[in-house]
Amino acid sequence: MLRWIVERDLMLAWRRRADMLSTVFFFVIVVSLFPLGIGPETQLLRTIAPGVVWVAALLASMLSLGRLFANDYHDGTLEQLLLTPQPLFLVVLGKTLAHWIVAEVPLVLVAPLVGVQFDLSRETLWILFASLLLGTPVLSLIGSVGAALTLGLRGGGVLISLLVLPLYIPALIFGAGAVEASIMGTSPAPHIYLLGAFAIVSLLFSPWATAAALRISLE
Amino acid sequence: MNIYKYASPAMFYPLAGKMIPWFAIPAALLFAAGLYVGFFVAPTDFQQGDAYRIMFIHVPAAWMGMFLYVLMAIYAGIGWAFNARLSSMMASSIAITGASFTLISLVTGAFWGKPTWGTWWVWDARMTSTLILLFLYIGFISLQAAIDDPRRADRAGAVLALVGVINVPIIYFSVQWWNTLHQGATIRILGKPTIAGSMVAAMLIMLAACWLYSVAVVLIRLRCIILEREQNASRFAEVGA
Amino acid sequence: MNWPDLSMGGYGFYVWGSYIFSLIAIVWEVVSLRSRKKALTQQQSSNTVPASVLRERTHETTS
Repeated sequence: MLRWIVERDLMLAWRRRADMLSTVFFFVIVVSLFPLGIGPETQLLRTIAPGVVWVAALLASMLSLGRLFANDYHDGTLEQLLLTPQPLFLVVLGKTLAHWIVAEVPLVLVAPLVGVQFDLSRETLWILFASLLLGTPVLSLIGSVGAALTLGLRGGGVLISLLVLPLYIPALIFGAGAVEASIMGTSPAPHIYLLGAFAIVSLLFSPWATAAALRISLE
Repeated sequence: MNIYKYASPAMFYPLAGKMIPWFAIPAALLFAAGLYVGFFVAPTDFQQGDAYRIMFIHVPAAWMGMFLYVLMAIYAGIGWAFNARLSSMMASSIAITGASFTLISLVTGAFWGKPTWGTWWVWDARMTSTLILLFLYIGFISLQAAIDDPRRADRAGAVLALVGVINVPIIYFSVQWWNTLHQGATIRILGKPTIAGSMVAAMLIMLAACWLYSVAVVLIRLRCIILEREQNASRFAEVGA
Repeated sequence: MNWPDLSMGGYGFYVWGSYIFSLIAIVWEVVSLRSRKKALTQQQSSNTVPASVLRERTHETTS
């Protein structure tokens, strides 16, 4: 079932490739805006890089959250999925996994490239990649709770942001912290471990909360 | 005596009405007493001068913001788990009061920060966590405002509040870590004022006053919410008088 | 009882500013609740079904 959901969602997303690309382009544009707004001095850019890249990743994830359940909701598939005998937890997990692959992994892959704009060292770029690789699942998982709660509501993306951004803050702190530690020369390991811990905890609990939220939104 | 009848909004409505003065009047008295002790009895602090007196409203407000969030989550959770409408209405009622106290604590904290640390805003762990708490309140209130169906709003709010309450310790811990890491850049707090007995007394009296005030205001709002939601029930036909 | 220094040792703006803001927040909360309640009870009294009509309607269902 899990595999079926993931494959289905991936196939549907592939039919709308433009959506995937738009998330990545948004991320790149936002990251590029900061140096333009702040100034090209490399030392300054290196200081702000972790925060800027991470915040841009947060915002790009949030924009893509609307798509997680909305399409299935609008054509009635989501209701049918709720009626299957398979646990809703699995359905949610599958959809979130597909969402992560489609919306977040491209960000993770592109991030080292935009990191170059900020004159980050090779090692730091690797840490940037690793922190986003561990952090983006957290974004997808926690974001799915927000997406499920706001299904079909007016208010749209802004409402999801209000709900979900405060919950993203720990991931932001440790994700950006890892990159910053790497820039400073100290070990990013504690940050990475904590990010990993968040990833595991959200993997265990978010799909359950999202499933409950879906039932609430769909009854 | 069957107390469970009070789980019905219609039955609780008059009870709440009777309870309100019992909380509102003592609250006003305790506010007066607390301010008296805080301003007339407590001595000027050695390190911070008279500016520390902001503490008597800042600290109780911060505590209320936090307690009320947890209380809100508990009521929302009970309302969801037991399908108890009144419990969910209570959670919705608490939200605005809690947000208001959190805002008071942020603003008074800024007013305290300016003379003490030199800047209006300092990114120390507590102020930052309080700011995030305000965002959590705003999220809860916005979500409930955006949903038309009251029962869906209740349950969705419950999920959000519970997710939030579990996250609050995580957020606090993360912010504290973040703050200690970046300590070099922040201005250190000059240190708590030496706590004289009268200062503690004033703070506790103000805290009690805030609690009583919160109960009164939450009950008043709860009655409004009950009226709004149960309007069409004929048993409310007499309420207009 | 010692009458406090009203200028708060020079920090008067900050101390009184805090308390005035808190007072405004509290008063705003109470006042907005009052007006909400008033609007609701006014609505209620205009919605109120007179007791005689109510009796009539409930009797209708039994016939």
